[in-house]
Amino acid sequence: MNIKLTYNWLLDFLETDVSPFDIQKYLSLSGPSIERVEKFDDDYVFDIEIISNRIDTACAFGMAQEAYAILPFFNKKAKIKVNPFEKYRFSQILKYGVNEKYKLNIELREKNLCSRFTAIILDGVKIRSSPLFIQKRLKAAGIKIINNVVDISNYLMLTLGQPTHIFDFDRIVNADKKSATMIMRQSKEGEKIVTLDGNEVKLPGDDIVIEDGRKRLIDLCGIMGGKDSCVTEKTKTIILFVQTYNKQKIRKTAMTTGVRTLASSYFEKGLDEERVEATLVLGVELLQNYASSKIASKIYDLYPNPYQKKEIKTTFSFFEKIMGIKIPKKTIIQILSSLGFKAKVEKERIKVYIPHFRKYDINIPEDLVEEVARIYGYNNLPSNFSPPAHVMQPDEFERTFKIISKIKHFLKHLGLNEVINYSMISKKMIEEWGLKKKNHLKIKNSISQEIEYLRTSLLPSLHKNIKDNEGKKEVLKFFEIAKVYFPKKDALPKEEYRLGIASNTDFFNLKGIIESLFKELNIDYFKIPKIIKKDRFFLTEIDLSFLIENYKLLPKFKSINPYAVIKLDKTFELNKNLTFAKIKEKAFQSKYLDKIEVLSLFKNNLTLRFYYSAKDRNLTEEEAKKELNKV
Amino acid sequence: MENLNYKEEIEKTQSENALEEIRIKYLGRKGIINKLFEEIKTLPQSLRKKKGQRINEIKSEIEKLIENRKQALEKTKKEEFFDETLPGKSYPKGSLHPLTYVIEEIVSIFQKIGFIRVSYPEVEWEYFSFEALNMPKGHPARDDFETFFIEANEHPKFGKMILSPHTSSGQNREMQRTKPPIRMINIAKTYRPNWDATHTPMFHQFEGLCIDKNINITHLKGTIDYFVKEFFGKERTIRLRPAHFQFTEPSFEIDVSCGLCFGKGEIHGKKCRVCKSGWLELAGAGMIHPNVLKMGGIDPSIYTGWAFGFGPERCMMMREEMKIDDIRILYSGDIRFLEQF
Repeated sequence: MNIKLTYNWLLDFLETDVSPFDIQKYLSLSGPSIERVEKFDDDYVFDIEIISNRIDTACAFGMAQEAYAILPFFNKKAKIKVNPFEKYRFSQILKYGVNEKYKLNIELREKNLCSRFTAIILDGVKIRSSPLFIQKRLKAAGIKIINNVVDISNYLMLTLGQPTHIFDFDRIVNADKKSATMIMRQSKEGEKIVTLDGNEVKLPGDDIVIEDGRKRLIDLCGIMGGKDSCVTEKTKTIILFVQTYNKQKIRKTAMTTGVRTLASSYFEKGLDEERVEATLVLGVELLQNYASSKIASKIYDLYPNPYQKKEIKTTFSFFEKIMGIKIPKKTIIQILSSLGFKAKVEKERIKVYIPHFRKYDINIPEDLVEEVARIYGYNNLPSNFSPPAHVMQPDEFERTFKIISKIKHFLKHLGLNEVINYSMISKKMIEEWGLKKKNHLKIKNSISQEIEYLRTSLLPSLHKNIKDNEGKKEVLKFFEIAKVYFPKKDALPKEEYRLGIASNTDFFNLKGIIESLFKELNIDYFKIPKIIKKDRFFLTEIDLSFLIENYKLLPKFKSINPYAVIKLDKTFELNKNLTFAKIKEKAFQSKYLDKIEVLSLFKNNLTLRFYYSAKDRNLTEEEAKKELNKV
Repeated sequence: MENLNYKEEIEKTQSENALEEIRIKYLGRKGIINKLFEEIKTLPQSLRKKKGQRINEIKSEIEKLIENRKQALEKTKKEEFFDETLPGKSYPKGSLHPLTYVIEEIVSIFQKIGFIRVSYPEVEWEYFSFEALNMPKGHPARDDFETFFIEANEHPKFGKMILSPHTSSGQNREMQRTKPPIRMINIAKTYRPNWDATHTPMFHQFEGLCIDKNINITHLKGTIDYFVKEFFGKERTIRLRPAHFQFTEPSFEIDVSCGLCFGKGEIHGKKCRVCKSGWLELAGAGMIHPNVLKMGGIDPSIYTGWAFGFGPERCMMMREEMKIDDIRILYSGDIRFLEQF
């Protein structure tokens, strides 16, 4: 969540001589990130990224509180001019005298919807433009200017971090013209409300709503008010409405209805109930000053579970344990108190009282360490290596990664190109390969038909790679090493590493690649994996675990034979009864044969060279010839 | 003997063949020099030695003259054209995916400081990606990790089957596998339902995890600083900024100084075109939340630890040589992209 505030707005609460650009620099290091500072008229506007658990900082006063704690650690002066939580109390309104001209009949049907419900009626309202300073600041914050009453409501939110709503009292008033009824309850599925932007929202159910005396829904609470009850040019009497709602409910409604407002993004983070009082009182003051309104009811305040003091106990050594350096006790206490925490020290122990505006994000001693460490400055902490420890890598991981790397580099040097494809493929690809959909895991919420199923083979993707690249390069040889996924009943799938190779050359080209790879890995006895031909392309796929299990760092050394090697050539005419494999099998029945080389192949006339030698003497040519003649 | 005319004869020769003939005439087996040696035998003993020396002198003089003449003849021979600028013999040059190099580099950087690489399921149970990371059901932090769900029966304890949206699900798996000390990196494919110029539905993540007695923030800082200097260059520095993640406390965003403006945010008074303000966001990190340790069966009152998560794609694209404006090209399989690496 990002909000925009101006420099002067901040200075309403903060006394400092630090420039807006320096405020950006210092606050970003130790608090909320100020992503941009821009000049705006005679003011500067900050674009602030609110840290998700620090909704208390999403307002001018909240930023002033952060600046007050942070700036002194950069040797800059900072003072809080006024604390609205102390200044704006109900007692201040009460001193104007109690007026009960109008009444609200409030009914809270369910307990867990609203942790604090406050409201007050004001009359004599004059709708006009809001004062210039409010207009300017709201414009800078990117909020639309409407009229004094609506603008004040928005201004309150960005000043104190508490959204408010303002109803037109006369539009929901009961027949007696003296009272209005407000029933807060959960919505029923399918109920409808027209919100003030004119859209009709169909409610999913269990949303927080308010019903008036005529059974109309007048507010989609925490999200947007109803159109039938909102302030217009003719409004004379208003209800200022300040609540804290159940955050899960607001979030659910905002997500399911798709209506998201700045107010809802405050409420769904969970607001501190103590903020409500100051907001209502400042609201009354602004409405009196800039909308000529007068108090016309008592203050309604339904607050069943007021804030209980919350405390966390820890030790000074715990700060050192997590931060890695010893910080003077005095400094720890000073930082905590600048952030509004009160600390009670008992030798090595420290008891910290959590201020109301931090009651939701500070829960464990580690949270306090974070506060002290960030204000002290992460940049002031040294950099150290983690203490050395010997950790064994499981054999399985070690071999897998080592051999994958060996294979990749070898194939690269043979001239192949490595590709990384998505693990998901389309239904079409599965069908084209004659595979069965039911043997594949399916993604429930895929965003494209291209990536709907988890692959059980690398070949469909590699085949597509070759096809997609035809015409871009004459010779294409791709390989990929990746996992494939085989579903298992009521368990996670079997994830298996595969090596896939595809080429648009020919059968023997691919076979040669496989043979040299096996040689590289010193796997001497092997069966060539199946080579598949599809659309003139040749493909093969190997279970990587076979390569991993059979890989040897070094081949078996054969002692060098000092005796003569006799080379003999012979040509065969191949046919289905006389294949190379058969010739080879037969030839190796001789104990003198070392190896066979293919010299040439022309129209099935295969010329081979045979190497014969003996281990203990010089073999004669006659002996070798005799051996060959047996073939 | 002294009136032999070899000197003139040699210098007059115009071809190598003629020169060879002269060589045979004088130095051949039946040549003049050998004949002279034969004649020595007929001389009285007292003269033999002196004569022999003289013949040897002549012999070496002839050899020298022939050699000189040979070289002279070669020089005058018209030189044949030899173009050294022609390319050498071409050898096959394949390629690896650029991420393979990046991942291997990351692994080797961490191997040197004793971190082991592991691998955990890509298809995971919700529990390991969320609950075990202190994000119970309904927690808004789960929204930050938009997730692909698999059509499969729910596990009674671990919930729905998903494609892991981050490598942090390996944290709990590693804590289950082994007891501290833990020094782990986990680089794997991860998945989220986004597909545009800056997102692909599959991408990589790189998780670091260190759990031991007395691990503190300075160790996290030191480790990341070491990585940044190894991977991006000695002149680069890091900074930590406050952040919030459910599975760490305290939590940080880690920025690395911009390699173009060196953290200043401007070059010759002009805004740097690469970074926002001198710094580039690199990773999220923090001290492991005590709840996460507990769920991994590790006592947080004895052990502490740090964790971080980076994107290898982002690390790669933050290097000067890899300015990619559409990340989808990484997984396009386009040979014109792949063959460059």
